[in-house]
Amino acid sequence: MHEFSIACEIFEQVMATAKEHGATEVKHVTLQMGRLSHTNPEQLSFCFKVLSEESIAENADFIVEMIPPSLECECGYTGTVDEEKIRENCEFKSELLAYAAVMECPICGKPAQITGGRELIIKSIEIETEDQN
Amino acid sequence: MFMLMHVIDMGHDVYKANDKVAEKNKKKLDKYQVFSVNVMGAIGSGKTTLIEEVIRQLKDKYKIAVIAGDVIAEMDSSRFRKLDVPTIPVNTGKECHLDAKLVEKALDEIDLNNTDLLLIENVGNLICPVDFKLGEHLRVVIVSVTEGDDIILKHPMIFKTSNLAVINKVDIAHAVDVDAEKMRDDILSLNPNVPVILTSKHDWESLETWISFIELGVKKSQNR
Repeated sequence: MHEFSIACEIFEQVMATAKEHGATEVKHVTLQMGRLSHTNPEQLSFCFKVLSEESIAENADFIVEMIPPSLECECGYTGTVDEEKIRENCEFKSELLAYAAVMECPICGKPAQITGGRELIIKSIEIETEDQN
Repeated sequence: MFMLMHVIDMGHDVYKANDKVAEKNKKKLDKYQVFSVNVMGAIGSGKTTLIEEVIRQLKDKYKIAVIAGDVIAEMDSSRFRKLDVPTIPVNTGKECHLDAKLVEKALDEIDLNNTDLLLIENVGNLICPVDFKLGEHLRVVIVSVTEGDDIILKHPMIFKTSNLAVINKVDIAHAVDVDAEKMRDDILSLNPNVPVILTSKHDWESLETWISFIELGVKKSQNR
């Protein structure tokens, strides 16, 4: 479980940006998480909640948008994984495995390079500031 | 007084921040022509033992240093020190993996001018180390037959992102009712181009294959 240390980094970055912009409250924190990253969104959200207690981000909504894996093949194909094929692979219990198992080029069938889907991005925050005017 | 709402775009990638430090580590290692190996694998897979074999066989030919990462790193570190190689223990505390910053700090304590090969033993598990590059030249995953022959498909990403896979303790595969060949096939189905080595510490020939793979990397680094 490494969600706590990742949540620490997210909390620090969010607070630094919020402060820089004179925030009195952080309303939303929006993340983008690749489906192939080894991070659990629920655990991450819980850790962030614990860390943000008694801070201006205490009541922030923690939103996680999941990003599908994307591929690049030597035949020139670039794109996301074949959703149809993932459904065919539903016998696999783990979603991660279902994705990894279909990492071949939908055009030529060769194993493709994973170019996206492993990221963890703090996309944006919504903050409240006092209107000085 | 009114309250105003703003949306602020951040675009800060937590893993990319680690990747940047890893890239810096790699450049530093390249500068000193040090070949570095990130050894990953579960608790009890044989990481420490296989690293010890590399040290025993190569320490007279090359200058070796070790970074031993663990929740409490002292035990493994003392095993490596017994072999007379400089060893930096990195206690990760509550953390389940090494990251590039921890390695960056450890590199400051190593005499890189006097190092040809840096062996980095990661914390024992097949999940957390995957997303954290360290600046290594070779990513090795070691899996033992005692983990069961379904272990590979349960942890696809570590096998997909490694440059070398070792299936260890194959001498006791029969006793634990495991088919090592199935394990090899599963690895190749996830990562068709990865070299797979089957090892046992009681089979010298298999250890030689493992050690020669590491030596090949050292030689390549020195010729760069």
